[in-house]
Amino acid sequence: MTGDTSPIAADLFCPGVSLLLMSWDAKTTQRGPAAQEALTGPPSAQPGISAPLPPPAPDAMSYTYTTDLAAIRAVVYRYAIQAGLAEQRAIDLVLAVSEVAANTIRHAKSAGSLKIWYDSEEIVCQIEDDGLISDPLAGQRQPSLDAMGGHGLWIVHQVCDQVDMHSDETGTTIRLHMKLPGRPAR
Amino acid sequence: MPLETALWYNKCVDLLTVSVTARESAGEPYTLVEIAGEADVTNTDDLRRLLDEEVAQQPRMLIIDMSGLRFMDSSALHALLRVNRSLDRQGGVLALVSPQTAVAKILRLTTADRLIPVFDSVAEAASG
Repeated sequence: MTGDTSPIAADLFCPGVSLLLMSWDAKTTQRGPAAQEALTGPPSAQPGISAPLPPPAPDAMSYTYTTDLAAIRAVVYRYAIQAGLAEQRAIDLVLAVSEVAANTIRHAKSAGSLKIWYDSEEIVCQIEDDGLISDPLAGQRQPSLDAMGGHGLWIVHQVCDQVDMHSDETGTTIRLHMKLPGRPAR
Repeated sequence: MPLETALWYNKCVDLLTVSVTARESAGEPYTLVEIAGEADVTNTDDLRRLLDEEVAQQPRMLIIDMSGLRFMDSSALHALLRVNRSLDRQGGVLALVSPQTAVAKILRLTTADRLIPVFDSVAEAASG
């Protein structure tokens, strides 16, 4: 992304930056547009806490990607529909996964990994690469359109029901959750 | 009816096809760029270069028909925002036409659709 100078840069995957050897986790929920009005305070994050995310479901589908984002989008869409996500939400998930995977292409040194699993409650997409996000609040502030950059992770936070991130010097894991529509009560 | 005066080129870059046509509506010339396929970080540089070439021609109006564009990520959006800013500076206008669901979503989420006018048809965009 040459020419893009975002002051708060969501493009914060910086492989090789080890000046700050920190690791952190951030969990945000209900950041969709409908929930925005309910936000009363700044989003929470816990820099310095390095508990990794719980392991993915054992039956998770696993893919490795380099630059083939269109293939990744097709896979995510297929699983999202199969899991029972409404089409609009499936498109949202595709957008979110694509934005995170785009950051791998921009900033990580090696291939990224995508895992997808779902149960009756939710579908989860986990993206891992060797990049480092140095800002625990990355993507939680809306960049101005003049910033000409930094919208990727912000969009991810807007469309997903829950976003978990863990980043340290070994890499970054971002987990995107979408709730599945509940079955009608009987 | 807009008069198609010349097809300048039709370039296919990986997942993305970009065609540019010089047209006229009620005597006013405009440039129509049709983008089809999927626009993401892997082809943004190409998209940006093609759009920059059109901006350099200093069109009074540049219309981007997105009806064939299945997907657009934030990299491609930034390319559009850059075009909008450049055109604005040189007294031109950018208009977008017929974004599909996924493309309309990112335009709406980022509020780019408040900055760049979006129309249902090329004819509508051309008549301003």
